[in-house]
Amino acid sequence: MTEVRSRGGRARGLGRLGGRRYLHRMSALDGEIAVWGRRLAGPARPSARDRATALLSRDPALRAALFRVVDVAPACDGPGELADHLAAYLEEAARPRGGGAPAGSDAGSRLAPVLAAAGARVAGSRAGRVPAGVAARLAVRATARRFIAGATPAAAAPELGRLWSAGIASTVDLLGEATVTAAEGRAYAARCADALDTLAATAARWPPAPLLEADAAGPLPRASLSVKVTALTPLVRPAAPERGRADAADALRDLLRRARDHGAHLHVDMESLDARELVLELALELLSEREFRDGPSAGIVVQAYLRDSEQQVDRVLAWARAADRSASLTVRLVKGAYWDQETIEALHRGWTPPVWSRKGDSDRCFERIVPRLLAAFPAVRTAVATHNLRSVAHAIVAARRAGLAPADLELQVLRGLGDELAAALAAERLRVRAYCPVGDLVAGMAYLVRRLLENTANDSFLATRATGAALDRLLEAP
Amino acid sequence: MSAPFRNEPLLELRRASVRDELRGALAALDARLPLEVPVAIGGERRHAPVLDSVDPGRPERVVARATVATGADVDAAVAIAAQAVGAWRDAPAGERAAVLARAAGELRGRRRELAALCVREVGKPWPEADADVAEAIDFLEFYGRQAVALEARAELEQLPGERNTLRHRGRGVAAVIAPWNFPLAIATGMTAAALAAGNAALLKPAEQSPGCALALAQALERAGLPAGLFALLPGAGEVGAALVRHPGVHTIAFTGSGAVGLEIVERAARVAPGQRHLKRVVAEMGGKNCTLVDRDADLDDAVPALLASAFGYAGQKCSATARALVHERLHAPLLERLRGALDTLSVGPADDFASDLGPLIEADARDRVEGALRDAAAAGARVDRTVGELPDDGWFVAPAVVAGAPADGAVVRAELFGPVLSVEPVRGMEEACDRVDEQSYALTGGLFSRDPRTIELVSRRTPVGNLYVNRGTTGAMVARQPFGGNRLSGTGTKAGGPDYLLQFIEPVVICENTVRHGLTFG
Repeated sequence: MTEVRSRGGRARGLGRLGGRRYLHRMSALDGEIAVWGRRLAGPARPSARDRATALLSRDPALRAALFRVVDVAPACDGPGELADHLAAYLEEAARPRGGGAPAGSDAGSRLAPVLAAAGARVAGSRAGRVPAGVAARLAVRATARRFIAGATPAAAAPELGRLWSAGIASTVDLLGEATVTAAEGRAYAARCADALDTLAATAARWPPAPLLEADAAGPLPRASLSVKVTALTPLVRPAAPERGRADAADALRDLLRRARDHGAHLHVDMESLDARELVLELALELLSEREFRDGPSAGIVVQAYLRDSEQQVDRVLAWARAADRSASLTVRLVKGAYWDQETIEALHRGWTPPVWSRKGDSDRCFERIVPRLLAAFPAVRTAVATHNLRSVAHAIVAARRAGLAPADLELQVLRGLGDELAAALAAERLRVRAYCPVGDLVAGMAYLVRRLLENTANDSFLATRATGAALDRLLEAP
Repeated sequence: MSAPFRNEPLLELRRASVRDELRGALAALDARLPLEVPVAIGGERRHAPVLDSVDPGRPERVVARATVATGADVDAAVAIAAQAVGAWRDAPAGERAAVLARAAGELRGRRRELAALCVREVGKPWPEADADVAEAIDFLEFYGRQAVALEARAELEQLPGERNTLRHRGRGVAAVIAPWNFPLAIATGMTAAALAAGNAALLKPAEQSPGCALALAQALERAGLPAGLFALLPGAGEVGAALVRHPGVHTIAFTGSGAVGLEIVERAARVAPGQRHLKRVVAEMGGKNCTLVDRDADLDDAVPALLASAFGYAGQKCSATARALVHERLHAPLLERLRGALDTLSVGPADDFASDLGPLIEADARDRVEGALRDAAAAGARVDRTVGELPDDGWFVAPAVVAGAPADGAVVRAELFGPVLSVEPVRGMEEACDRVDEQSYALTGGLFSRDPRTIELVSRRTPVGNLYVNRGTTGAMVARQPFGGNRLSGTGTKAGGPDYLLQFIEPVVICENTVRHGLTFG
């Protein structure tokens, strides 16, 4: 605590000096946020990886080709097959495309000649084909390893331990294929149960880390699992949420019991809007049951990119006020990862998109929700999950202004994407948790592709930062 | 000038409030059943109900009682239409389009009620029932705009001294013979096309769905369509046959079974005494549609898409997938996941949002499907069915996944129009294309592949009218995926596409000499 205060003092001083010409236009709040943002910002010079990210953001055709390689890699039997796909994608990326092309890719890749030559080389000779396939395969695996902490919870355990030692808590997300059969739902539930066992046993051996183990609401579990209801049941029907709710209830109840018995945290993830009613109703319904009155520690997700997210917050807060529970409810606030899917589906069906069309609207909505969640502490614990430095800094300042101690606000990052931010947060003695996908490459590919698309989307914070955009501008109010 | 065409928004059924509205609309409709459907000709209505349409999920519930059109009704309808059509044909396309747009507005105002009617009369589950109504609206809006565009088309070469004009003139009286499976959408589509192009339209709805046809008749009337240009002629096959035979009918627009379609084509080719024109037939017939699954397919996508394509509306869409031709590497895993997924399907009343499949349309349909499955099993095929109870009442069938069905049996060859999916291994996509090529049907096809070259290969080789890549094979949208089959699946016309209206048009070219005393005035 002392350290935080002294560092904070120094940084505030810097803010006064360096930010003078901004401050007169900024509210006091924005000024404080900008100070925190600069404190947390990583190196000003983009890394090689950042530069690659920036390149991909500027070249949608190349980006599409690379994502398609990543996407198809698990389905390919051997490097030859992957090389064939790679060649075909490069050919297509090199070709200017007509009406059906996605926005932004109509001009083809700016690297068209290079890609065409590469495609021809890959496709042309048998001698070139296999090495290209092998290289592609290795690249895919290397990329996957950056995001995926291990093939199994046991395999991921050392990495989780390293994070813990670095002052970063974790939550594990088990990657897998879509659940279309009851057997697949049961298999996922069994993997979750095993994961809870493994995580609890592993975490018990970690050294104490007071900041990560308690806030003013009480103790915080070391072991944490994030679970997807849509993987527990094949009965996700947007027009009949009661089917999935009934089908997944027993499995989720078993996981809640197991988490409670292990003293672990269970977080119910949110996915696309088609499943929201099912997921949220089920989670709140089960947590209202008498047996879960005192635990486990559990949570749900609110997605700020949804136009009606504030109504969702109303609903969750009303539930938390009315629930006869001694345990807190953790609310992970995210922007949301299904923006394209939601937008396209709405477009195809003639609906008003359920998500904000402009990123700034999501960011503003996010900032409106944060103080409301913080005000509900300790009945509600807030976990702010974003890589947007402005949003993170805003939440930190909002928590301080709400009179909360650093431990009372959780900040979450994605492993592989937010590593530098996590380190910076830990160095500031803020409470940070990394969301760690676990699973094999085949299972993880859908996740991976989504993460990559998100990371290199033109307006993503990380992509913008990677281009070297001025930090001050990125920290401005959305 | 009207706004550019946009598909009618679907209802957002994932919102609980929307579902409640639909339940309310259904309760209100139920209180009004049975509907009485008259023969309607030139503003006159004749009521003598003898033909009942029933809820296929509860056959004792009568949805509509229809009067059956007689030969005299058909003669009268044709005569009155022939009188009325001249002025309509000569009216500016914009005027015709305005009437159709108003009719679309009438349907739009009854969205929920009409979806409920589809649910009741043909056992269509809510999402598909809603899409049926939306598609009917689309056809009215789309074809009206197309008629305006056609009128504005100036496509002839012009040289000094002559003025060349191409006029698109309605052919005259069109007979529209509609199916029950899209009871509002397809009846409306064929009718709207005929009217938009400047024809009269005499509608013979399917005997299973006269109630939905009544809604179209009401919409056109309220929209101010001049009397005589539309007639509602309910009945069974004889009414359709009388229309097809009639010397005063110029165009026959038919959607239905292959057998009836071929009969119509043959019959329409004969020139009756006194008939001074050739009849044109627009026919949309059956399909035995294949979805190809290549070795690089993502089964997470393919399995749900196959389920939806094969079992949506219990397989009673002409676009439904009946066969999956699967690369041998994925055959076993795909089959295992499909069998597992089969058990997640719930068969129940169409009005229950929780039902994945409703009933089949009638007892014969059920018996045909069950018979084909028995034959396949007897021939050594493995037939997996959804477990779980079926409702006691109604024509419900448990969906089936069949492996190892005999190549010459009904499950592989015949259009069953039921929830049956045959899964067959292939060595590669070339072989799959060969199998598709053996068929005489060529309506829709599907392909799951992540290789652009495979997609190009199949696109080049497929004989089908509509190929869907990495998605299901049903749900074509007006203006976005013009729909229609080749070979024995249809006359190759594309409903909801830019050229469909030409089927209802007689083109006339006028060349006027504009030179007079060596000077040109044009």
